[in-house]
Amino acid sequence: MRYGSAPRLKKDLVTLAIVSVAYLAAATFVTNSYYQLIMALVPIWALFSLSWNILSGYGGQLSFGHASFFGIGAYVVTLALVFWNLTPWLGIPLGMIVAGFAAVLIGLPTFRLRGHYFALSMLAYPLAILYFLQYLGFQEMSLPMHREHPAAFLEFTDPRLYTVVSVGLLIIGIFICMLVENSRFGLALLAIRQNELAAEAAGINTRLWKMRALVVSGMIAAAAGGFYACVLLVVTPDSVFGMLVSAQPVVLTLFGGVASVWGPVIGAAILVPLAESLNVELGNILPGIQGVVYGVAIIAIMLAAPDGLFWTIRDRFFRPKPAAPLPVSLAAAAPAPDKPPAAGSLLLKVEGLSRAFGGLRAVSDVSFEVHAGEILGIIGPNGAGKTTLFNLLSGVLSADEGTAVLSGESMLGRKVHQVCRMGVGRTFQVVRSFPRLPLLDNVIVGAYGAGLSDHDAIACAARALDRVGLTAQAGIAAGQLTNKQLRLMELARALASSPKLLLLDETLAGLGRDECDDVLDVLQRLRTEGTTVVIIEHTMHAMMRIADRFVVLDHGRVLASGLPRDVVEDRTVIEAYLGKKWAAKQDA
Amino acid sequence: MTDLSRRSTVGLGLATAAALASSRARAQTPAEVKIAMLVPLSGPWARQGILEQMGARLAIDDVNAAGGIKSMGGAKLKLVEYDTQDSAEKAKDAAQRMIAQEPDLVGGFGCWLSTFTLAATEVTERAGLPWLTLSYSDAITGRGFKHVFQSSPTADAQAEETLPMVMELAQKATGKKPTKVAFVGDNTAASVSFMKPVRDHVVKDLGLTTVADEVYTPPLADATTMVQHVRSGRPDFLLFGSTNVPDDKLLVDKFAEFNLKSDRLPKIGNGGHWAVPELLKNAGAENLEGILVGLANWPGKRQADLEQRFMKRTGEPWFGHDSIFAYIHVMILKEALEKCGVADRAKVSDAIHALDMTDGPALFFPDGRLKYDEKGRRVGAKLCVVQWRGGKPVPVFPAAIATQDVLWPKA
Repeated sequence: MRYGSAPRLKKDLVTLAIVSVAYLAAATFVTNSYYQLIMALVPIWALFSLSWNILSGYGGQLSFGHASFFGIGAYVVTLALVFWNLTPWLGIPLGMIVAGFAAVLIGLPTFRLRGHYFALSMLAYPLAILYFLQYLGFQEMSLPMHREHPAAFLEFTDPRLYTVVSVGLLIIGIFICMLVENSRFGLALLAIRQNELAAEAAGINTRLWKMRALVVSGMIAAAAGGFYACVLLVVTPDSVFGMLVSAQPVVLTLFGGVASVWGPVIGAAILVPLAESLNVELGNILPGIQGVVYGVAIIAIMLAAPDGLFWTIRDRFFRPKPAAPLPVSLAAAAPAPDKPPAAGSLLLKVEGLSRAFGGLRAVSDVSFEVHAGEILGIIGPNGAGKTTLFNLLSGVLSADEGTAVLSGESMLGRKVHQVCRMGVGRTFQVVRSFPRLPLLDNVIVGAYGAGLSDHDAIACAARALDRVGLTAQAGIAAGQLTNKQLRLMELARALASSPKLLLLDETLAGLGRDECDDVLDVLQRLRTEGTTVVIIEHTMHAMMRIADRFVVLDHGRVLASGLPRDVVEDRTVIEAYLGKKWAAKQDA
Repeated sequence: MTDLSRRSTVGLGLATAAALASSRARAQTPAEVKIAMLVPLSGPWARQGILEQMGARLAIDDVNAAGGIKSMGGAKLKLVEYDTQDSAEKAKDAAQRMIAQEPDLVGGFGCWLSTFTLAATEVTERAGLPWLTLSYSDAITGRGFKHVFQSSPTADAQAEETLPMVMELAQKATGKKPTKVAFVGDNTAASVSFMKPVRDHVVKDLGLTTVADEVYTPPLADATTMVQHVRSGRPDFLLFGSTNVPDDKLLVDKFAEFNLKSDRLPKIGNGGHWAVPELLKNAGAENLEGILVGLANWPGKRQADLEQRFMKRTGEPWFGHDSIFAYIHVMILKEALEKCGVADRAKVSDAIHALDMTDGPALFFPDGRLKYDEKGRRVGAKLCVVQWRGGKPVPVFPAAIATQDVLWPKA
């Protein structure tokens, strides 16, 4: 469990209990069988939307094809009932298992894609399955009726019992989502959504977490689909694999609120009854009125509350109070970090590192050494290859040639998160924070990345905050921090995994002079505590103040290296920065 | 218990009793008895639904004009109409709305397309509502349902019957037995169950060779490749398994375009949609000429007066398969209501099961018998055949209704 989630969970569970009881109580008074059907449909669509929310809301992996899993659930239940007379009570779990395997099969190729490409590829799966089922001759399947022991086959003469079952399923689904949201699972997914690369650099195995999210999400969707089949009585590929089915959880979740347990529930509770009641009252006069309602709802919500109802209302009326400051004992509980390597010993040795993009040699035959306990500044004009060098070292890019050895182990040829686990922390030019999460959670991501247990991760994050001087702000949402605090937060996130080596990419960018000095003080303190730092920076005065040595890059090559004073007086360096004319004037 | 709450409890009890009493009173002498029609009134099958609607409305007016349900004190029949739209799930949804919104229905009929009927009867059966249908699929009465009644010969029976009958007609006309057959059909439940026995054994039993077997998902977009396949197989005749007018028209046009009208390639269609005026309007008399249509019912001479009234009332050029079925189904429900005398769906269902008539509504069937077996299938239901002649479907089989001999190309 994440730090501070217990009271939030308790509050959410009380809300859930009250809402469920109220809903079931209301359902007992509905006598019209079609309205009762709507009462059963709301939790089903809410559950389906919750499943979508895990992958696409928390994890940011937009899926336009979640009907794949919903439909698999529905068809497994139906086919098992038709061919094996297997009760849906067992058919639904069976469908969940099949959907779990399908999620792995779908995820393996599809997670190679990102962004729009991922979203569109997901769209293809339900459509492919749809035609496949038509080809197999399963275009209309009705669930056989059981006159003996109907309840054993999930058939009820009292339609209210369908509502009870669907509310039960939804409660289980909400529990699962709460667990996800309040654990490292949810935090890893949020990190991936925010910036996949930064998440990798924080040590998170993004591929693995995305796959887990897809499997969990697919299984929940299958449960919703399986029960939907029981309510539907007649299953056709279009009714469970169709485009509108895939659109449903997207619309409901966007309407209700993305990346929150309550969002999909709110969306379903408002839109499903609205559209269905209109269908009841006007379906005979205006067929297709449902589609119009959905269209209008999407447009309205995109204009008025782009984050969804839940967040808009919460941000406006129930802004959470900042949590109490962290107890001092918390940081002290952190496990002792590995003893830093003896000051001055060789920590990192880079030799002949090269990387070309087509004809452009972005990094060419770069060699340098980093010694434990020093701050090495990497400077150079724009386009010199500084960030590419970091990307090569941290595994974002693969090197064409050369070696990079950290404490006797090669850094090259590893994935980003594996490099992180070797003890390399990295920050990025642009800060990536989770604005709604408290500062502490933003930092814990880094600690989870190092593979720490919940308890140790919280302690390490607290210690990292202490080291950058942000302990007092631990409970504040990251969205309310100043630019400097965000920079320090990113530093803390990199420190949370207790790295041997920190790679800082323009940590001072955009800071005023005073703010800059504050951050430099922190860096100096880190050095005295034994952390080794390689920093890319443009602000020369700051670099002069803090760096022990410089490596100057130009056009991908090492132009000069050595003590700061020597380097800034080097003729070739002045030429590279200011041009030959300037250098000539200096000589004259 | 406080005085107030006691008083309100008593009040509630009285109100409930009053409500119960009034509902019972209403059940005894209803001013009107509601029956439902659930047919496609929009989408690709709308035309068939509208033809059913015309027949049903005429029947309702006929019943009410003749004094309503006499055993119920002249209660009037009222038709409530629901639209299946264009898919099985919408048909089922409409059935659910119908059951919820019209709790006092005593029976109903529809939904023309077997796919829709299969879906909708999943709902009506669970509600215990007696349901009459002209749909062909065997599956409709193969599920052990107790309140579904199928008036047509089932698809299996039609499939078993159609090809031998065609072979016989061909041999009689040309003196030669056809040897090669081609199929073009869609993949809806009706066509699938129709084609199954044909593919399984009928073709082999008759010593026929299948030279082409084309299947598509409706609505059909383009028939070119299918027609090319059929043409290259050089069949002696062709059997259609289409289920709607737009698809029929597209197929007929495409065959004509490839110079394969029925004087060169005899064609047999199946189902009411092959004999509607709309097809004539769209495909034209010339392209339709000679096409044989097997269907479950066609008005005979006995309905001459009814046919005239129908044509006058609706402006339709003839009284066909879909309209006569709707007319019959209203009449059967009326007959059952007369027999049981109460507006109670369970009793109406029992009454339909008990029917065994050779007069009254039974005369609307060419075979002249009205009795449903324990599965709900009409006993002795026989196939009729009409042939397009000069822009009108003319009955050619069975002899009881045939007005002309069948036309079959000699070459």
